[in-house]
This record gives sequence, C-alpha cells and structure tokens, in this order.
Amino acid sequence: MRILIAVDEKPYSAHAVREVARLAANTWANVTLLGVHATIPTSGPAAREWTVNDPLPKAVRELRETFLQHFKEEECPYLQREFGYELIEVTKGVWEELYVAKTARKDLKAKIRIGNPIKEILAEAQEEESDLIVLGCDQARDCTWEDSRILPQKIVNDAPCSVLVAKEEKQVNKIVCCLDHDLVSQQSLEMINQLVTLYKAKLVIIGLTEGEELKVEVEKKMDAILRYYTARDIEPWVEIVELSSLGAFITQEAKWGLMALWMGKKSILEKVFPKGKVDKLIKGSESSVLILR
Amino acid sequence: MIKTLVSLNADLASSIALRYICQMASMVDMDIRTIHVEEADAEGNPPGTGWVRRTWEKGLLGTAEAEISQLINAERASCPTLSSPKMIVGEHEAEILRELEEGSYDLLVEGILLSFDTSHFENRMRSKLYKKMDCPLLLVKNLVALNRIALVIDDHTDLPSLVSVFSKLFEGAQLKFDLLHMILQKPGRLSFKKDAQDAASPVSGKKSSILTKTNNMLTEAGRPPSEVKTMRDVPSGIADSLQDYGLVMACLTRQPARKSPMLEVLSRVPSAVLLCWQ
Repeated sequence: MRILIAVDEKPYSAHAVREVARLAANTWANVTLLGVHATIPTSGPAAREWTVNDPLPKAVRELRETFLQHFKEEECPYLQREFGYELIEVTKGVWEELYVAKTARKDLKAKIRIGNPIKEILAEAQEEESDLIVLGCDQARDCTWEDSRILPQKIVNDAPCSVLVAKEEKQVNKIVCCLDHDLVSQQSLEMINQLVTLYKAKLVIIGLTEGEELKVEVEKKMDAILRYYTARDIEPWVEIVELSSLGAFITQEAKWGLMALWMGKKSILEKVFPKGKVDKLIKGSESSVLILR
Repeated sequence: MIKTLVSLNADLASSIALRYICQMASMVDMDIRTIHVEEADAEGNPPGTGWVRRTWEKGLLGTAEAEISQLINAERASCPTLSSPKMIVGEHEAEILRELEEGSYDLLVEGILLSFDTSHFENRMRSKLYKKMDCPLLLVKNLVALNRIALVIDDHTDLPSLVSVFSKLFEGAQLKFDLLHMILQKPGRLSFKKDAQDAASPVSGKKSSILTKTNNMLTEAGRPPSEVKTMRDVPSGIADSLQDYGLVMACLTRQPARKSPMLEVLSRVPSAVLLCWQ
C-alpha cells in the first residue's frame, strides 16, 4: 500500500501523521509526506536560505521525525541501514564475508512541491499511484486548512484514490462503512480490516436502500463482506439505512468515530453526495471520514 | 432438547440467522429444523388441483430449493445436525403457524436485518404470525458472539413468563446473563446502577422491588443472574448500552402499542432479540 500524507505546519497535520504511523506499523505501507509551498524565491540569498529557514520544510522534517518516533529503531522498516561486512553463503558450502548495504525495507519520503496545493497533492497522488491520501483538518474552522480553506473537500472530491480526513484527536470506537453497490475492491476491504484492528473498533456495514429492500447484488456483496471479516475474527454488524435517512443516520453515528463511504461510478452515494455536498459531509460530521474508491 | 424451527429465505438475514442459531446450538441442546415457504403470489395464483398443482408447485420450488440448500450446505461444516429444509408453497405466515402447531416447536427463529428506521421492526412485530404463535420468537439481526445474555424487564413485564421461558430455553447452558431493569428517562446521561445502590436511591422504590422479585425468581429457578442493574436513559441510549450483549431477552405484549418503550428499545438493539409473549 502506498499512502500519501498531505501536510502543512499546523497541529492537525501532526495528528494525521501520527494516525498514519499507527496504520503503517500494521501494514508496512510506503509513505510519502508532502508539503506544498505556493511560491519560493528562485534567486539570491533568500533562495539559498529557503530550504533551512522556511516553516514548511522545517515542519515536514519534524513530521518525518514524528512518524519515525512511532517505531522502535530495530523494528522500523523505514530506516536506512549501515554498510558493513556480513558472512554470506555464495555457493553451496562456500561462505564469503561481503560488504553489504541494507536499505530500508519500505519507503518514507518527505517531499515539498511548489505550486497550487490542491493541484500538487492530486498530481503527487497520480504520479506515485497512491492508494490512500490522508490529511488532517482544523475542526474548529469547519474542517478547513489554514492557507486553503477548501483543500480537504477538493481533495476528497477529486482524488483518484481513497481519501481519509482524520479529525483531530477523535477516538474511533466504531467504523461505519456505507455500501450501496457491489463493486468493492479487495484493497478497500483490507484497508478497513487494518483500521478495525488498529483502533480495536466495532465494524458496521451499512447497506443503503432506496426503498425498504436491499438490491439483490448489494445483499450478496454484504454477505460476502460479512464472511470475509468473520473469517478474520472480526464480527461486523450489518444494518440497513434508507437513503432518505442517511443524513440523520450520519449525524447520529458520527459520535462513534469513523464514517467510511464506498463511492463508485455505480454508487447512488455519488448522487447523494455530489461534489458540492461532500464538503457538507466533511464539515458537518464530527467523525473522521474515509472515502473509498 | 429445544425443538427449534428456523424460517429461511435465500437472503442475508436468513444466512445470519442460520449461522447464529448454529452457534447457539453449540451451547444449548437443540433440535434444529429448517423451513422455507415459497409465496405463491410471486408467481400468480395456483392453478387447479391434483397433479397440475403439484407440478406447478414443484417448478416454483425448484430454484428456491437450490438456493436454500446452498445456504444450509454452507453451514453444515460448523453445524452438522442441520437437516434438509422443509419446502412449502403457500402463504408464509399461515404455513409457519401451521408448522409450529403441528410440530409442537419450542422456538421459532427468523432473521431480520437491523434497520435505522425502527418502523421496519415495529411493523414486523404486528404480523399475524407473531400475534398468534405460542412459542417464543428469536429474531436475529446480526451475527454476534453469544457471550452474555441481557434479560430486560420494565414495570409491565410478566415476570413468571419471562423466568419460565428463560429457564426452559437455557436449562443446563453455561451462559452468563445479567438482569436489567429499564427505566425511561428524558434525554440525559445513562446510568447503570447496581440494585443495592438503586435501593438507596429516592426514585428506586417500586423498581427495586421488581428487580429483587425477579432476581429471587431466577435464583429459585436455579439461574441467579451474574449482575443486576438498573438502566435509566432514553430508548436509543438503552439500546446503545445493550449492544455488547450477544442476546437480549424480553417479554412483549402481542399487539405492542406503537409508542411502546420496550418495542422501541428492542427495535434499536443490534444483536439478537428473544421474545416471550405476555
């Protein structure tokens, strides 16, 4: 799994990094920390000083340390190892002391891009083929970013992959996953599995209906998902919710921690949460929001 | 041995119910029979009598039989005592009722998916079948571990019925259970109080005596509860506090009022609900 953490210098970004560190400890994901700077001086002393003194590079560097602090040094898959001699069997019965370099088993990149933050985050996700973008947001300000108020909502709307908006210091007791179609990727199931394990949370699979009954294909998919998780010693609940009640349901369930929505081309959620309305969900919900694609 | 009838359809709710009852059968001595009623209305009115009708019914049952058998075969590995289902064409409620009466069953099991809209559960509780059936009803909403049972009473509970049904169904079963007295409150904080504390509470009086009475009845029946508590909250809060139980048991009137607090709590509980009638 490849996770992109979009960060700035604010405390909510540190929270997002800590959450990803917990997730990465389970999944050994390749992780990229990305800060985006609108412009930088291109010449003169200011340009030379930029990398050292600018708050963003400093913040990204510190967030990298925050991430690594989550791991014990000897177990950390992200640390570069030292060079040294090691006795290795080169052919059967013949051993040789070779000078070897052990590189990190997993990537941890810290990057800064220059330009429009939304465009650069989306471009990075595209270029790196990220599976998940994670970002924090300022809950006191309707889940916005300090320098780009609409950034979280725009990333959720336009990202080519899944997006997790991690609300600050929100205890996740229950992960509520809404499903209304049968195109659910194995990767997204695994991602939920990891989150359930990580938070020791209760998993609830919600089947969305437009009337009283679930669509046959959705019901079959829910059965398959139920069996998938039961086989992994997770006991999900299933519940049905009519689309007309979804708003009330989300408001009620937000207190538990994490709301996940499986979006897809066949999804009626795309109708319920068209681009203009996703921001309402992100802003309005006190829970963290995971959009699965 | 508890003679149990599981009503099955080829759907998720039945699949969950079947898996749950198989789990229960590993703890309680049960004889599980399964039945599927294919509603004739779905394919039009039945034609004539004799072989014409039998041929029509056979055709109607063909697909359903394969689906139900698939459902049962999937569970046989963990529940080897499951037998082939009884397949009937007819009106669902009437046929189940007839089977319950003819077979002298001790328990009927059905699956019902938990719904955010509580009216689904409430409407189901007003069905003709539930109004007329004699034996207790187990409605399975989710596949949860049957680790602990909640016996929920309110001021209107028929205590002898509850204790009698509970004792019969779980005779010899090594299952922990708690006795919980439900007191509805206006929105506010949930409070769980052990009965000793409750007795000292100025609002406890009658409630405490109900708990004490039920506790004594259960103890006399050889089933003392692990814990005895009072729950004070709104229905949704009480349902939330019951969500860690693998089974919630209560008594209901056969035609519960639309605003029955017990009905509302049971409709919101995510685990299985075992009902005795009063």
